[in-house]
Amino acid sequence: MATRSGVVEFDPEIRRLEQEIAGFFAEKASEYTGRHPIVSAVMAYFYIRRNLTQQDLRRLTGFSAGTISKAVRQLVDMNMVTREMIPGTHTHVYKMETLPFRSPKYFMQTTQNLEKRREEIEKMKETLDAHSDDMRNIDGYQQVYAVITHLQKQIARVPQFMALIEEELEELIKQEKGKT
Amino acid sequence: MTRNPNVPSEEKFRAVERSLVEIISDFGYLKGRSSKTSTVMAYVYIRGEATQQLLRELAGYSLGTVSAALQDLEQLGFVSKRASPNSRGYVYSLAGTFSQVMSRSMTGFQDYLSETRGFLKEVETKLHEKSLSEKSGYKSLKRFLDEMNVLIPAYQHILQKYQAAPSSRKKEDTTNGDP
Repeated sequence: MATRSGVVEFDPEIRRLEQEIAGFFAEKASEYTGRHPIVSAVMAYFYIRRNLTQQDLRRLTGFSAGTISKAVRQLVDMNMVTREMIPGTHTHVYKMETLPFRSPKYFMQTTQNLEKRREEIEKMKETLDAHSDDMRNIDGYQQVYAVITHLQKQIARVPQFMALIEEELEELIKQEKGKT
Repeated sequence: MTRNPNVPSEEKFRAVERSLVEIISDFGYLKGRSSKTSTVMAYVYIRGEATQQLLRELAGYSLGTVSAALQDLEQLGFVSKRASPNSRGYVYSLAGTFSQVMSRSMTGFQDYLSETRGFLKEVETKLHEKSLSEKSGYKSLKRFLDEMNVLIPAYQHILQKYQAAPSSRKKEDTTNGDP
């Protein structure tokens, strides 16, 4: 039996394994990476099912409508999933085309976001420099200035590092695929 | 009508500080963290150290929210606390330098990958043991496991390579086959 987005009822044994996987990511991804457990669990269902509506997710996870709506919004912001209207309905389907770590698109969009941030930080620094005589004694000025300078340096290094990793990832994936 | 010339500067400065907090907390949000936890982290990072009371004032959250966020951040090893010398509470600060925190989170990520790999192996074993290959959902689950079997080792390779010297390492001749 399929719902509107085409979600299939899994065999009970397989469904149990799926729940184990969602539970694992909810616990471990938040323990190690700080990702919110609900976001991790919802992501895990996308890893397996790929296309889901909010209603599907409510049914699969047991979370409330509000919780699911907030989680999918964050996943869209993170570029993990895309949102599409199902033709002839008012319902959205959320899609994860490939696993997020696999897609170069994911890295590229992260880099685009960084470029925007880099510009903002540059402007902030200009503001602080332009008013340094009036501002330098304000509580927190030194710390904010130091953090801005540090971030500027870190962000400048990221695109190159990302490109390197992406290139190697492609190569390694090819090798690993060759093994199986 | 005279105004204290420092008031506009202070306002302008606070606006810069708030934008900085937004930027830093957005990095956390885009990693899937809760936006409140990310905001608290941003203030601790910027201020260097802060009490729960100060964080409440800066972020505008309830005591419960601030204290839950700090607990998460402590568990992640991003933030550490010590007894405050002049009040009953604690002073929270970044757990080490920025690069120490980053490198610790890289090590954490490696542990995460190997634990995930082990767990998914178990799932795969169960999937095969019970001869579920004709059942509904098998293909979806199998596809995910197959992809992870390729991706996790690839990431493990990369992390191992860059952990030693993340910035200075050039792309060396990739001697194939070394573990």
